[in-house]
Amino acid sequence: MISKKEQMVDSLKLPKDLLLGASIVTLTGNHEAWIENYKGIIEYCDTFILLQGKTCQICISGKNLSIDYYTNEDMKISGCIACVKYE
Amino acid sequence: MEKLIRSLKGYLKIKVWGYSPERFMNLCSNRNILLWNIENHDTYYTMCISIAGFWRLRPVTKKTKTRVAILHRYGLPFFVPYMKKRSIFFLGLAGCLFFLHMMSYFIWSIEITGNSSLTTDVLMDFLEENEIVCGSRKKDLDIEALEKSIRRQFDIVTWTSARLDGTKLVIQIKENSRKTPQIEVADGEGMDLEATKKGKIVDMVTRSGVPLVKIEDEVEKGEILVSGAVPVYNEDTTIKEYLFCKADADIYLECGYHYEEKFPIQYQYKVYTGNEKKISYLRFFGREWKLPFQKVGFDRCDCVVSENRLEPLKDFYLPVSFGNYRYREYTLLEKQYTQEQVKTLCQESLDRVIETLQEKGVQIIEKDVKIKKDSSHYMLYVDFTVVEKTGILVRTKTENPRTGEDFQETRE
Repeated sequence: MISKKEQMVDSLKLPKDLLLGASIVTLTGNHEAWIENYKGIIEYCDTFILLQGKTCQICISGKNLSIDYYTNEDMKISGCIACVKYE
Repeated sequence: MEKLIRSLKGYLKIKVWGYSPERFMNLCSNRNILLWNIENHDTYYTMCISIAGFWRLRPVTKKTKTRVAILHRYGLPFFVPYMKKRSIFFLGLAGCLFFLHMMSYFIWSIEITGNSSLTTDVLMDFLEENEIVCGSRKKDLDIEALEKSIRRQFDIVTWTSARLDGTKLVIQIKENSRKTPQIEVADGEGMDLEATKKGKIVDMVTRSGVPLVKIEDEVEKGEILVSGAVPVYNEDTTIKEYLFCKADADIYLECGYHYEEKFPIQYQYKVYTGNEKKISYLRFFGREWKLPFQKVGFDRCDCVVSENRLEPLKDFYLPVSFGNYRYREYTLLEKQYTQEQVKTLCQESLDRVIETLQEKGVQIIEKDVKIKKDSSHYMLYVDFTVVEKTGILVRTKTENPRTGEDFQETRE
């Protein structure tokens, strides 16, 4: 069921990430991930990183995960990424 | 670029542990404190932070009940005090860089390629005359003028290219493989083909001019083979005038070649005793320093020099070289050639002669080899019968016959 807000954003062709607060996850192979539009880190360890998005939580699991940089806008995760899960 | 800016500004690698390190990171990002290279080590986290960011960490650590420790310091702000402690070393380093920089203004090596009949020494002498030597300033070198002057000085050079690679001047030249004397022909002037050798004509194809000889004719050296003056006859078969042209023909001459060489019966050869001595040296700006207290002490010896030029970067030569002189002692022994050895020597010599003749495009038909011996020498006599192309262009001496009008003019 699509909400009215979403319908309007769709019909006006406005950027969804800005108006709906959707997180953007960009993966390059299984070694690098760029994440934008998030609120913060909930948990971080070697095998998984749990992020708080604006609408949901994003769980990235894998091996040897490290954060290359972390700013208010975006972050880059590198390592061997096995799974990206929205909770 | 980003790394360079970070290094210039300086940054720290810190260790964070305590109640909530994740919250520490979130607060840092909210307060625009950049963190990078964040790694998890089970009980603690390591990350990089700028110096400015580090000074703003206190409220964050208090709020998140975490502790921070500095693991490493990176960048220029931490390197400068380190440099102050080792000032002499860094002064030397700066001096070395300055020396390299100053040396890069000069030419320290000259390389000449593509020359075969023009020796490198001749070209080096020419460069020296033009004040281009190792140690000349690069700024004073006019490459285009140098290329032009080489072409102007040496007729055999058809193409030159000079370029500067670092501190090395590279000159590439191309020589004319067959030097043919260019004779300029004026309008109304003809060229004859003249025999270069005595012999018998075996083949002849004339393209322009009047052939004066035919196949099977015996010709002498300097005899005109094809005339460049083509006669135009009157009705009474007298010559009215000559039309001049450049004679052109392929004329093959059967002629003889004689070659002789002497080999002394006794010869000296070197027997190396196995005694060797190495003397190292250092050459700096053309001046040489050998290791002290070292003498060769051999009566007869060979000397092999191996030198290494200092080249800190590719094609960046410096006027510093080092190497060694290797002296090998030998004694001279006298020996006589055996008949077998003489035969091999003669065969080798003959092969060389045949190869040079074939390179000239000469076809060998017959050869007569004789080896004679006198009291002190072996003599090799070879008579070749060969077929070779002949003909050299010379200005025609034939003149147009004087007409009646000319006679009248001279009388007046």
